[in-house]
Amino acid sequence: MERRLQQLFFALSILALVLIVAAAWQANTPSWKTYQHNFLQLEAQGEPNAVAKAAVLATPPEIHQVMLTGLQRVDRCTTCHLGVEDPTMKDAPEPFRYHANLGSHIPSKFGCTICHGGQGLATDKEAAHGKVAFWPNPLLSNDYIRASCGRCHKEGDVPGVPELTEGRRLFESQGCRGCHKLNGVGGSIGPDLTAEGANHRAPEWLEQHFLTPNAVSAGSAMPNFHFTREQARALTYYMLSLTSEEMGSYYSSVRVIPGPEYGRKLFEEKNCITCHNVGGVGAKTGPDLMGVTTRHSLEWLDEQLVNPELVYPGSSMPAYDLEPNARKALVAYLNSATPADIQLLLAHKNHPLTPEDVGIEAGKADFARFGCAGCHGTELQGGVPNPNAQGGEVPSLLHLSDDYTKDEVIAVIRNGRAPPLDNTAGPTPPLYMPSWKKVLSDEDINRLADFLWSKQEKKKESW
Amino acid sequence: MNLLQEIWQSIVRRDSLSTDKGKSELVFLNVWLHIHPAKVKKENMKFRHSFYLGFITFFLFLILITTGIALMCYYRPYPPQAYQDMKDLQFVVFMGPFLRNMHRWAAHGMVVCVFLHMCRVFYTGSYKKPRQFNWVIGVFLLLLTLGLSFTGYLLPWDQLAYWAITVGTNIGSYAPLIGGQVRELLLGGHSVGEAALLRFYVLHVAVLPSLVILLTIVHFWRVRKDGGLSRPVWKLKPERETLVTIGAPAEAAPLTVKASTTKTYGLMEVVTGKPIFETVSAEEEEDTVFSFPYAFVREAVTLMATVTTIMVMSLFLNAPLEELANPAKTPNPAKAPWYFLGLQELVSHSALLGGVVAPALMVLALIAIPYIDRNPSRRPRDRKWVLWLFTIFVVANLVLIVIGTFFRGPGWALVPPWVHVVGGAE
Repeated sequence: MERRLQQLFFALSILALVLIVAAAWQANTPSWKTYQHNFLQLEAQGEPNAVAKAAVLATPPEIHQVMLTGLQRVDRCTTCHLGVEDPTMKDAPEPFRYHANLGSHIPSKFGCTICHGGQGLATDKEAAHGKVAFWPNPLLSNDYIRASCGRCHKEGDVPGVPELTEGRRLFESQGCRGCHKLNGVGGSIGPDLTAEGANHRAPEWLEQHFLTPNAVSAGSAMPNFHFTREQARALTYYMLSLTSEEMGSYYSSVRVIPGPEYGRKLFEEKNCITCHNVGGVGAKTGPDLMGVTTRHSLEWLDEQLVNPELVYPGSSMPAYDLEPNARKALVAYLNSATPADIQLLLAHKNHPLTPEDVGIEAGKADFARFGCAGCHGTELQGGVPNPNAQGGEVPSLLHLSDDYTKDEVIAVIRNGRAPPLDNTAGPTPPLYMPSWKKVLSDEDINRLADFLWSKQEKKKESW
Repeated sequence: MNLLQEIWQSIVRRDSLSTDKGKSELVFLNVWLHIHPAKVKKENMKFRHSFYLGFITFFLFLILITTGIALMCYYRPYPPQAYQDMKDLQFVVFMGPFLRNMHRWAAHGMVVCVFLHMCRVFYTGSYKKPRQFNWVIGVFLLLLTLGLSFTGYLLPWDQLAYWAITVGTNIGSYAPLIGGQVRELLLGGHSVGEAALLRFYVLHVAVLPSLVILLTIVHFWRVRKDGGLSRPVWKLKPERETLVTIGAPAEAAPLTVKASTTKTYGLMEVVTGKPIFETVSAEEEEDTVFSFPYAFVREAVTLMATVTTIMVMSLFLNAPLEELANPAKTPNPAKAPWYFLGLQELVSHSALLGGVVAPALMVLALIAIPYIDRNPSRRPRDRKWVLWLFTIFVVANLVLIVIGTFFRGPGWALVPPWVHVVGGAE
């Protein structure tokens, strides 16, 4: 017995040693070392002589990482993806292939995961690609990767990603905010979408949800908007870009990409043409803007947009609160603006605006912005199914004046209302009119009512 | 050669281990070994008496201290960094996963073994006079072990950690009057956040381990002073009084006193060379062996078996690490660490009874056991209903933990583990 125990002790001690060696071996042979070895062999092939080959092969293995404090991440992807910045690797097999078309998005400044998703800290393939449990952000497939542009470029057009612009437009015009909150503004019937892109939902799921909400999320109160495939894709892009991450100042400075298209949009939105003209087309109150970019330096123009009073004391031009890139975009547009183009812009505004019209226009904007259109329709036609509500759908707003006074409508907007039931024993209808008094000012609500009244169809003649 | 021998002798300062004197001196003159008696009773060292659970618990604690200090070199107790440090351990630190796995599995092992050790001590009646207070110290060591495990649970700062501690500290807050304040003191705020992480870290690496070390010293010292491991119940002598004669042979009138039935040491005379005569019965003498190598080889085997078991587990089983803690996203169900799931199960039925009254009574009852159970006999046949009562207590605890761990789904609804709940994580 005593002898046996001593033998057991030695056997266990040797086993412990073996286990430590095994653990060290396991730790010393990670898959990334194999990748680095393969990459070195690939590189060595290009070397002219044996000495150079040996020198390349002798490179010690090491983890490569990009510390991105501004993006709050550390990306170790280049530990295996060694050829990303090496143009000679453009035909190399993955994971060594050169990343073409990076442009200004160099890996040392941006890393990889901000666009591609995945787990930057990881150093083995499965975990790094994020296709493991408990990593909410797996690699995006090539179909959806351009959605990531919207994480930094939060406004304006992103060249090459029309889907983002379209997605944002749809979101604001189809009334999504009526039910969904985004950055603090919106209803609470549906989930908050502020960080939807960080919510571990597959892009395919989102896209299908936009096409047929009930197919992927049974019993969803979300109406079917009959989006086309392209529209569903655009909305999916937009959703994926919403991660509510805090970006460092370097990254948030490019929210808007300065370009003449965006400048033109601003020129129209800010109503520059009510004072200015281009080559004589437009108003004559302010100076002609034709060739203004050749007459003044860029700095002068920028200052003029920030603080006109400072450049021309007594100037009647208002100071516009534009961010630097928006000002650059406006200047870029002015550089290319032609009288013919201005003619086109003016064609949209074919009647002069009265103060009353301004109120109605603002009401119309609120109607879209706060999401009334989501349920009542962009043309106020209603018709979104709402099971067990009277009539089975959300009412049209085109005949309000038949049954209500303006004040009654204002009260309903202010206080909200549960829809009258079709069958009192039946379930509560999923959609209801939320109370808006905490979100909208009285002025906003009055303008909404003005807008609604401007759309009322004439009472049918009775006989 | 002579010099080498001299140096060696200056270090060990004892006779050769082939002599009985040397074997005794090895224990007696060595600060680390002198907590052992020079001789032990063979039967007391039988595996089937104690299952060496106390040793195993202590060795797990040694593993935890060693790996814990190594882990401290890689850990920053500050919210987002803490989680990133876990990822670094997982992906870039040499043998980092092995280190973390060893710490995690040894920690769970220690909770289990300290509990089993307590059961063994109860079933063999080893808490009885004169060991009553050592049982009480043992109960405090159990509580400290749970505290260590609980505070360590938060440190990875993932969803599992965050919500387990949120739920765990919520259970504590059900205590009337002081519950809320104690929770606030522990968390340094009203919810688990930066302050809580720092406080749990300080408790985990400084306060609680120091207390465990202090109490362990007392615990061991008392075991030693009470005659080493308790006598196995199958070797208990019938109750009788034997008279023995003590005194130096040269003295005129030797003293006749009652023989001690509990004393299992008393061989200092071999070492000091100053006999304090106590006649030892022939049966007892036969039963006794030198600690070297009899006890030491058993302890060494236990140590190596413990270490290798934890190493094998750490090679093949990875410690869990979920997503970064997100206070806005509550998992459903949010569960406390497994050893508190029995409590959480009770809380789900009644917050006050389950969260306050039951655990308080449990701890008080455990502490009071040696003072309530005044039956001097350690024989199982004399203490049938006590054994039944304790068995019911143990089984009830286990059943509650199993229900809480495996049978509770979203909304704390009863869901068998083989039923997959869709959307449970939402």
